[in-house]
Amino acid sequence: MVLVVLRRVGVFAATVIVASIVTFLMLSILPGNAARIALGVHATEADVAAQATAMGLDRPAIVRYLAWFGHVLVGDFGTSTVSRQPIGPDIADALGITVILVLTSVVLALVFAIPFGILTAVRQRKPDGAILSGISQIGVAVPGFLAGMLLVTVFAVTLRWLPAGGWVDPAEDFGGFLEHLILPAIALGSVQGAVLSRYVRASVLEVMRDDFIRTARAKGLGAGRALFRHGLRNAAVPVMTVLGLQIATLLVGAVVIERVFSIPGLGSLLLDKVALRDLPAVQGIVLVLVVFVLLLNFLVDLAFTVIDPRLRSAA
Amino acid sequence: MRAHTRRPVLAGIATAVMASLALVGCSTGSASTDDAVNTALTVGLLATPSNLDYTTTAGAAIPQALLYNVYEGLVKLDNDGTIHPLLAQSWTVSGDGLVYDFVLQEGVTFSDGSPFTADSVKFSLERVKANWTANGPAYLDSIASIEAVSDTQARITLSKPSNSWLFNMTGPVGTMFTESGVANLATDAIGTGPYTVASFQTGDSLVLAANTEYWGEAPYLTDVRLRYFTDTTAQTNALLSGDINLISGISQFQLVDQFKSNADFQVLEGTSTGEVTLSMNNASEAFSDVRVRQAVMYAIDRSAVMDTVSSGYGLLIGSMVAPTDPWYDASLADLYPYDPDKATELLDAAGVRDLSVAFKIPNLPYAVAGAQVVKDQLAQVGITANVTTLEFPALWLDEVFAQHDYDMSLIMHSEPRDVTAFAARSYYAGYDSPEVMAQFAQADAADPATYIDLMKQATTTMAEEAAADWLYLQPAISIGEADLLGVPKNTPSLALDLSNISR
Repeated sequence: MVLVVLRRVGVFAATVIVASIVTFLMLSILPGNAARIALGVHATEADVAAQATAMGLDRPAIVRYLAWFGHVLVGDFGTSTVSRQPIGPDIADALGITVILVLTSVVLALVFAIPFGILTAVRQRKPDGAILSGISQIGVAVPGFLAGMLLVTVFAVTLRWLPAGGWVDPAEDFGGFLEHLILPAIALGSVQGAVLSRYVRASVLEVMRDDFIRTARAKGLGAGRALFRHGLRNAAVPVMTVLGLQIATLLVGAVVIERVFSIPGLGSLLLDKVALRDLPAVQGIVLVLVVFVLLLNFLVDLAFTVIDPRLRSAA
Repeated sequence: MRAHTRRPVLAGIATAVMASLALVGCSTGSASTDDAVNTALTVGLLATPSNLDYTTTAGAAIPQALLYNVYEGLVKLDNDGTIHPLLAQSWTVSGDGLVYDFVLQEGVTFSDGSPFTADSVKFSLERVKANWTANGPAYLDSIASIEAVSDTQARITLSKPSNSWLFNMTGPVGTMFTESGVANLATDAIGTGPYTVASFQTGDSLVLAANTEYWGEAPYLTDVRLRYFTDTTAQTNALLSGDINLISGISQFQLVDQFKSNADFQVLEGTSTGEVTLSMNNASEAFSDVRVRQAVMYAIDRSAVMDTVSSGYGLLIGSMVAPTDPWYDASLADLYPYDPDKATELLDAAGVRDLSVAFKIPNLPYAVAGAQVVKDQLAQVGITANVTTLEFPALWLDEVFAQHDYDMSLIMHSEPRDVTAFAARSYYAGYDSPEVMAQFAQADAADPATYIDLMKQATTTMAEEAAADWLYLQPAISIGEADLLGVPKNTPSLALDLSNISR
């Protein structure tokens, strides 16, 4: 078990290093001159060259990479070429917002998907089951940004119950924070909830056909009790796998939802920084995203071994 | 206190999500009861400042937020485009137009407590040449020396008479700083203005608070939140839902009529200094012949472009002059009426057949929409425009603006009085007219009446020679809640002046 974890940590570290190199290389071939953007239309070529030197853009790529990654390892993401402030705190703030958004939408997705999925599985051959199943199919088909725009039109513009966008720090005003969180979290979570409910349904149906359920029922348990006592834990394993993958998808989805709702999360920060060619910031953000996704997968793996004892030795 | 009101949430929706909604309903309900005197305002804007330092960071976003609000200069441009005293009470000019004696306001302090004196004038203006890298330090090139005669008297001597330098002093380069307040300009904006920066989060918001020590008349609004949007739909939704109270410079023109018919809102239509320009690379093979450029002028139906791009809002100008400039000539809008036959004749006369041009546009909504119309209209006279969309600012600035690697582009020139910069041979338009440049130089040194005459002549020549096709002037449309008063209608400068807004 310890060895397994150690090996995973090793793979994790190697992946991070490879990702950092790939990120760095891809950004260094990105066309566009950060010095020119910073100085704008009044600058002469000489001004731009001087600015490039001041930004350290004229050093060889390998020197810039090592200097950057070396500092990142000790937690220093460097200084933004645009805001001239340390990048670390900006990333931390934005990451906090995105994580809150993503986790809330995961919770919403689960709250919806588990009962809904079980219900549609149990009522599989009944008309209501088919209707519910159809509803989740529609949910899968509606993209998050469209859901977001519809929610804004109904709840913000027409009814004026909730704000159309923006973000409030929970420490400042918790009511305002919830107010601003609800619509984007629903928009982001709705598709995932619908997808997840399909997996829950499939997984429950699969488990209900298993021998141990038949045995449990043979011993006198009703279908529902057999499922709840023995089945759900087994049904959870494939659902967890999907959930782990989905959180990565949600991070990508958050980029779009943050735009629709004007939320200053990691996605918004990334797009802003790319537009300004603030390369130290972009590198830092991409690296944090990569590490975050890898970390999630790592945790999902570990979670399996807790849920399913059979995987402890097999891993 | 929140400025917006929202209907309380109806009870009886029994999911976990809706339970938290109910909490929210309570909090807004209590907040909206005590807005008898509402001195807060939230403004929705598009381009976000990347820091607070416009001395070294380009772009209109920082001056828009800070100029006249946090920072002040000796002079200020009012909403009609005329120059008014600000930190200077008055000034006199010597007979030869070289020496300006300013009498300064007394009892003015910067927001860090340091006093504003003639030394601040000397410090700030000398700093432009030495330290500024953005927002046009060259605008003050004509200053030869700055002298602090006494605490309240500053004498500025020019190397040559200049009509434009005082106007330029109303812009960012004229900002007064204090020596103790320039260490961290990117984060700490210390000026003499009616507001101070309370908080700033790039990409999200910039919050201004009334400066309680302000030397002039205290502004009505005490808390102003500038909220930045990347999505124009999100911006208008925010206004409709009451999250923001005012949009300054709306870009979704198709929604303007909807707001006009809504009694909760007022729509202000003013003029800007943004010339939406179909630029032609005068130095390129395709457009070095004036007849080819003129053919383009006749081939384009500018009203049709304006209808498509800005729902018909805007003003046909025909030259690179805004109506707030004294040398504006409205008749130039009719210089090249839409006449495809004439365009074809001119192309024939120039011996040009099957012309194919590289039309490189920025990936901005107005440019993308406008380019499509232009492309179709050029096709009617046999010119093929190959449209390439370049990321703005990164790629467009590099490829078109810096390297001049293009035949045709479409971009808005938003700075006031940027026609003189546009005429320079080294500028991306590649317009080459020593006569026009000489006229601009003469104009700058002439007496005020001759100044206007010569400026009119030079800008007319540029229009006649089709240095570019100035399609139309970008409309400046602000939409705000109906009870707002004093919202600036025009945008003659880069600043969004908040000091006169009230309810």
